[in-house]
Amino acid sequence: MKKLIMIAMVLSLQLFAGVSEGEKAVAFDLKTLEGSKSYQMDDFKGKVVLLNLWGSWCGGCKKEMPEFFKLQKESDKGFEIVAVSIDNKASESEKFLHSLEGEVGYKTPFLTLHDPDKMLPKAYGAVAMPSSYLIDKEGVVRAVIVGSLDADDIEELKLEINKLK
Amino acid sequence: MQFRILYLFVTALLFLSGCSDKLVRVMPYEKEHFADKKMSLSPLEERAEQEGHIFLIREASAGGDSSFQGGCGCR
Repeated sequence: MKKLIMIAMVLSLQLFAGVSEGEKAVAFDLKTLEGSKSYQMDDFKGKVVLLNLWGSWCGGCKKEMPEFFKLQKESDKGFEIVAVSIDNKASESEKFLHSLEGEVGYKTPFLTLHDPDKMLPKAYGAVAMPSSYLIDKEGVVRAVIVGSLDADDIEELKLEINKLK
Repeated sequence: MQFRILYLFVTALLFLSGCSDKLVRVMPYEKEHFADKKMSLSPLEERAEQEGHIFLIREASAGGDSSFQGGCGCR
């Protein structure tokens, strides 16, 4: 009987689970938008990572993307943006990124992965789109950022990134 | 008696977990189809956003499109 209660409680708590600051980043194995290569969370060990969950259908996600282009372009090798698209079709994300590349005049400077099953937003318990997670060198989530970032927010974020380097 | 209370507790827990936010509400990352233009309330793009905003306030709902809103109309 006790076992049954424990199982029921664990199952119930699972429904409210998410990742907050100080917890380990969720492990993943996702393909790039082109589907050519797979990446795992462990591949970024030793680097400060900004994991961005976005979709081409989400206005806020599209609004902050040029800021991420600039941020990655200005950053050194110790920091990497990993943009995970949750679009059903990777081609939609690629279409948006190509149009943005045309506007800014250079290729997407960071890694773009595809998560059509929404595994990461579910695991992180994302409460809004876009959601971003600042992960330190040891793979621990240091900041949870809900909503889109503007230029001023990016300046504040840079300070946080430098602290973690 | 104790067994019955425990049984009721477990049943209530399982029943109430069905009301979890994650199960009854469309989560923000599941709104791709809702964000499609053809799902807008008005065929006129300029009016659709305004009409959608008013609809959400009136319904005090959490938003059916890609936006993140409460029912207060403050966003």
